[in-house]
Amino acid sequence: MSKILQLSEICGKKFLTLLFISFFSLAQLHAQESVTVTGKVSDEKGLAMPAVSVKIKGTTQAVSTDANGMYAIKANIGAILVFQYLSYNTQELPVVKAGLLNVKLLEANTKLEEVVVIGYGTQKKGNVTGAIATFKADNLDERPIVRVDQALVGQMAGVSVKQTSGTPGKAFSIQVRGTGSISAGNEPLYVLDGFPLASSSPNGSGNYSTGNPLDNINPNDIESIQVLKDASAAAIYGSRAANGVVLITTKRGKSGKPTITFNTYAGTVERSKKLDMLNGAEWIDRATEMINAQWVASGTGRTASQTTEERRAILGLGAGAFNVTYMLDDRWAQPNYGGLNVVDWQDEIFRTGITQNYQLGASGATETVNYYVSGNYVKQQGMVTGMDYTSYSARANVEIKANDHLKFGVNIAPTYSVTNDPGVEGKDNILHQALSMSPIQQDLPGAVNVFNNTQYIWSVSTNDPLAKLTNSIGMTKKFRTLGTVFGEYKIFDDLTFKTTVNLDNTDNTSKSYVPYTITGSLTTRNTSPNVGTSGSYGSYRKRTFVNENTLSYVKTLGKHDLSVLAGQAYNSDKLENVSLSAVGGFGVGGITTLNAASAINGNTNEAMNVLISYFGRVQYSFDSKYLLSASIRRDGSSRFGSNNQYGWFPSVSAGWNIAKESFLKDSKKISDLKLRLSYGESGNYNIGDYGSRALLGSNNYTFNGVPAYGQAVIGLANPDLSWEKSKTTDIGLDIGLFQNRITASFDYYNKLSTDLLLNVPVPGTTAFPTQLSNSGSVRNKGVEFELSTRNLTGDFQWTTSLNLSHNSNKVVSIASGQSQILIPSSFDVPHSILRVGDPMYSIYVVRQEGILTQQDIDNKAALFGSQTVGDPKYKDFNGDGVIDANDREIVGKPNPDWTYGVTNTFRYKGFDLSVLVQGQTGGSIYSLLGRALGRTGQGVPDNALGFFRDRWRSPSDPGAGEVGKAYSTFGRIKNTDWLYSSNYIRVRNITLGYDLGKQIKGKAVKGARIYMTAENFFGHDSYKGGFNPEASNTNLSGSDSFPEAGDYGGLPLPKSLILGLNFTF
Amino acid sequence: MKKTLYTLLVAGTVLIISCKKSLEQQPISNNTIDTYFTAPNDFLQGMNAVYNDLRTYPDRLLNLSETRSDNLYAVSEGGVRDWEGINSFFKTIASNPYVEEGWSKNYNGIARANTMLEQLVKNGAVIPDATLRTRYEAEAKFLRAFYYFDLVRLYGEVPLIDHTVLADEALNISRSPVADIYKLIISDLQFASENLPIPSAYAVGDKGRASKFAAKSLLGLVYMTRSGPDYGIKGPGLGLNEWALAATQLTDVINSGSYTFATNTGTATTAYSNIFALTNENNREVVFNVEYATGSNPQVGATYPWLLVPDGYFQSLGKPNQGGLEIRPVSTNLLNSYEANDIRKPFSIQAGYAIPRGVTETRSFFKKYVDPTQVPASRTDWAINFIVMRYTDVLLLKAECVLHGAPGSTATDVDAVVNNVRIRAGLAGGKTGITLPQLMEERRKEFAAEGTRWHDLVRSGLVTTVMPAWIAADDVRKQIQPFNNNYIIYPVPQSQLDVKIGLYSQNAGY
Repeated sequence: MSKILQLSEICGKKFLTLLFISFFSLAQLHAQESVTVTGKVSDEKGLAMPAVSVKIKGTTQAVSTDANGMYAIKANIGAILVFQYLSYNTQELPVVKAGLLNVKLLEANTKLEEVVVIGYGTQKKGNVTGAIATFKADNLDERPIVRVDQALVGQMAGVSVKQTSGTPGKAFSIQVRGTGSISAGNEPLYVLDGFPLASSSPNGSGNYSTGNPLDNINPNDIESIQVLKDASAAAIYGSRAANGVVLITTKRGKSGKPTITFNTYAGTVERSKKLDMLNGAEWIDRATEMINAQWVASGTGRTASQTTEERRAILGLGAGAFNVTYMLDDRWAQPNYGGLNVVDWQDEIFRTGITQNYQLGASGATETVNYYVSGNYVKQQGMVTGMDYTSYSARANVEIKANDHLKFGVNIAPTYSVTNDPGVEGKDNILHQALSMSPIQQDLPGAVNVFNNTQYIWSVSTNDPLAKLTNSIGMTKKFRTLGTVFGEYKIFDDLTFKTTVNLDNTDNTSKSYVPYTITGSLTTRNTSPNVGTSGSYGSYRKRTFVNENTLSYVKTLGKHDLSVLAGQAYNSDKLENVSLSAVGGFGVGGITTLNAASAINGNTNEAMNVLISYFGRVQYSFDSKYLLSASIRRDGSSRFGSNNQYGWFPSVSAGWNIAKESFLKDSKKISDLKLRLSYGESGNYNIGDYGSRALLGSNNYTFNGVPAYGQAVIGLANPDLSWEKSKTTDIGLDIGLFQNRITASFDYYNKLSTDLLLNVPVPGTTAFPTQLSNSGSVRNKGVEFELSTRNLTGDFQWTTSLNLSHNSNKVVSIASGQSQILIPSSFDVPHSILRVGDPMYSIYVVRQEGILTQQDIDNKAALFGSQTVGDPKYKDFNGDGVIDANDREIVGKPNPDWTYGVTNTFRYKGFDLSVLVQGQTGGSIYSLLGRALGRTGQGVPDNALGFFRDRWRSPSDPGAGEVGKAYSTFGRIKNTDWLYSSNYIRVRNITLGYDLGKQIKGKAVKGARIYMTAENFFGHDSYKGGFNPEASNTNLSGSDSFPEAGDYGGLPLPKSLILGLNFTF
Repeated sequence: MKKTLYTLLVAGTVLIISCKKSLEQQPISNNTIDTYFTAPNDFLQGMNAVYNDLRTYPDRLLNLSETRSDNLYAVSEGGVRDWEGINSFFKTIASNPYVEEGWSKNYNGIARANTMLEQLVKNGAVIPDATLRTRYEAEAKFLRAFYYFDLVRLYGEVPLIDHTVLADEALNISRSPVADIYKLIISDLQFASENLPIPSAYAVGDKGRASKFAAKSLLGLVYMTRSGPDYGIKGPGLGLNEWALAATQLTDVINSGSYTFATNTGTATTAYSNIFALTNENNREVVFNVEYATGSNPQVGATYPWLLVPDGYFQSLGKPNQGGLEIRPVSTNLLNSYEANDIRKPFSIQAGYAIPRGVTETRSFFKKYVDPTQVPASRTDWAINFIVMRYTDVLLLKAECVLHGAPGSTATDVDAVVNNVRIRAGLAGGKTGITLPQLMEERRKEFAAEGTRWHDLVRSGLVTTVMPAWIAADDVRKQIQPFNNNYIIYPVPQSQLDVKIGLYSQNAGY
């Protein structure tokens, strides 16, 4: 507690003290007199129902029925008893006298009674008026899942979960209802058991440099996940809710006997795709063609038929000397390539990894204590040598009921994970290099141009990727503890005060080390040992402290249901960074820590932000038919300009349960019909902590060899800087047919994001290229459809759930007077554009239209530079007779039009089978990896994409008409060569399980299940220039102002086959 | 119960009050402009930051002057390097990173100088020493003029910004006539030359700061540049006849006694190379230089030394790649222009290299600033200073003025200087009747790889004849587009045109 107090020092240290004093003084009030009620709970057929929860409404006081369905509970006269059991309809009965109260529970044929978690509370699903998607984590422990975000793939309409990396343990990217922000991130706010976690956006490379909110959170501990999609549901979270809010609820103990569960699985992890690259013979074929062409072009009298010796003589080289631009390796033509090795680098670096998981949990509840305790160990080897992820996590959720008025509890979850990744994904990293590596080598894989071996002179100068994987270190250790202490006090029957104090602390260290033996050239390794060795060590500590206090009032008066919430919150994030790196190599070999470095650069820095909030909500329903809800939040953040630190975030929504109207009440067909309407405003505050200020930074100089410290403004101040605002209108319809055998939800939304936190280009005369200001707007419109059907009931059960979403995204305006912003590119001319009227980050390149023929040239076709016959033919978009950057046009957009997921579940006797199919259509990917592996004029040494096989070779042998000749010197321009459809369909998961319960019944084991899962085994995509159409790993824009994470060497999705066991004791 | 509610109410009030304050978070790891410039040292650091923008100037000269000229045949095999199009006169270089950098970096320096000048007015009183205050003003004005002169030479007309501007204002400032920019440059340099100390008046630790004679030398060059032909473009040349004005400034420098023309002593032939020696920095040849040092954190070292050096050369020495990437070969024309025994040739130019895998590079490249024994731990941290203006340059510029009719004697001001330069280079002296083309030819060899060539061609009017002739002779790969006068200046960077359509017009020919 002392730490917590210290943390909140700036804000309300006194307040906290007061709070606790008042809280515990309240606790001393006494309960009213009570009576004992007993009875039996039975089902429709009159059979006794054990383990039914019997709870006094508005308290946590609860018991459960015994094996004979009997219960006994002490309750006040007038109290409401709530009888609850799994899929049965919950019944509420008032206590009128002491003694017997028998109850019959009916199996639910409606989902209306389900309770969903909403911001700062729960609500009956039937009363929900906002757009909320629910993911029940019931079967989560039956899938080999190491992250919570992984579980959400393909599950909910409007919630797009992208697996952007194949590195084990790495965060996924989640977007709710499209992308509305250009530079402030599009990731939702995560709220774990009421604790709003610090939001973080991926950096330009698509990585979370200071952690993702879901890191280290054990999916096996999750009870349910709710996604608040529209502003009316999310607006209670104000300035952080514009990208949606994901509410995660962890498991609680259930009344009844303590339950002990043990879950384990083990299996294999492999690549799900191999990229089609040229093989050794094809590489030689291309190299020979190119070298001969270069030779012929290099001077008169030079012909392709001249031998290596003749060329050496012409070039005047000494014996044994080569000019690899003009001379072939004679061994290429010899049998077995004269002893050269043919290497498939992909096969060398990929492997079959082993994954295993163990989870032990215990839970239970008594009248006074409710607990859930778990421990988990996961070890997952990656599909690439040298990559793995290990995590240890524990959780204790304990809730204590001190008396009828006071309840308090602690949730604590310490976790520790270790990730090993020697740097596989991304530009010029190991995977990219392995793909580009020449397949013909003098040495064997693992020894190419490393240690004492020199480079094969026709090969790229890259060092052996396999040796890099096995000899370098890239280790990240993350120790994260999430803790919540809360107390709840019932002031009156209907009025409850709740306070929570939350702390999320992450200590992360990362270490890297690359020895000189696997870098540089042999000469460098020999002449300057250790100099090429590099190493670094970095750490950060990230702390989020949240104190929230709410008062809630719930009252039912006849047909009127009223619920009122008022609250206040203090939220602060503090980040402390340390980075150390070796300068100029290491002085000592064999030591991987920086004490061996020849010199060290070090740095630390800190940043902090504070968010202060007040919020309130009123929910009213009449007869459960007419529903109204309104909320408002006022947020103040230190991140914004002094003129605009506070903002209001209102929302209002209404619902009409048509099915409850008299005209539908008795309908046999329609069991549920609800219309929802909502409007709300929320914000996005995801910018740097001091984005509104004119900060000074170090801009040093030197005089006479001595550093001269300099300070200069490093960005334009903007005292008006404020949140991004997002206004969402949502119309929804929920429908249930035939006793809810078919349920469906339909939503239409229109979300306008305005005042975007945009790095608006400004004249360079201000000293800066851009200024962070609130400018521009983006509209996302879409429809969402969710359908759930019970196709077959009885012995053989078949259920289907389907979700389908469509989103269209459009830039409505940019800065005043501007109609487009070209996104800078680190590689050649810009290829992405923000243009008013078009989707965000539209792909803007020159269109390729076949191959130039002599006829084209005779007809004065537009050319790019010195193009000749056999080079690609580009579209002269602006018709000025030449091909250049002005001929770019919009040819695609990154976001898909449609995303979908379908889960089919079959049950027969003890067997169950579920299949999840997921996919998307309508988007495009502009692949810089494809460009790196298949560019015009690509040199001899690099290996190239398989499509070069069918290249243009001569007018009479034009190949497939897609790829021009191997030897071209006109250069390159961003064109549709590297534009791929991002459509894919994938069988994400097939699980076949068998309930062993029947076989082992009566023993100590209460239940057991064995299952087999295949993840990512089948699928199809059109991405020939890379492995994963959703991959992002490299900052393509090279600009923080317009982050554009794209694929420059991302791993394929892991394909795994798992055998698992679940036991319940 | 009432009591409790009151408690809560009070607690809430305390919270609201105390939290208001907590929204006022001061950045922990940075200063802000609101709290800076309140102590003498703040002004020193503000001044140093204006110098900081000089650090990329040498790279810019090599990329945009040396590479544009007939000194290099920098067309690359694959056609993808950033320097592609600079040397080969592509029309579409408005987005070229070098072209972009020239604009943004110079305006960054100008803004810092403006900040400094404004803060001196606002808070300058905190500096107790009035002389120091004036020196800061003069240094800031010198650097502002320096950055504007670079802008004018690169782009011609540019926006005139003489105070700090925010985006709203900047969006309404269009390009000013070159003459207006020169007005500011000249007045700034006049103030600087009147108020800056002479070099010897600076403390040792201030070596490298702008001096009176740096200002006069630059002012001389400015007058000369204005006197160059205007080519019918809105470029740096105005066709004014200010050779005499220039000569006056340069003569002041020559007569100051602050500088010495380095000569060989005895049989040694090291005087030329010694000017550029790391152990001989800030020698008596140096009028103004950009200073670098290695091993600091943050780095204050240089990248320009390897800019024109292919990575393969460092590999052949067993050193890590530095970042020069592919070779930018020295043009055949320049190679052949050296007389036998010219010691400047082997010092400035490396004739190929062999990396030990049987592959040989036979083309030559500039390696003037690369001392293989001084490869730093980090490739971006070379120690060697870059001499922007050296005494030899001042002498030769004065000679140029005389050839253009400024007062002076052809024999002593031209022939003697050129002969001294030749003798130091290991060549025969005794030349008489030096003509302007001969003088420029001598400059080409003397200042090879120093980034002056393009500006020299433009100022002297030779560019229209030399470049087409050179292209015809040296462009064996037929990659260079025909030269025209519009290419004397660069296009306005595309990013600047895109900010607000119509604010700036593009230069003719692009």
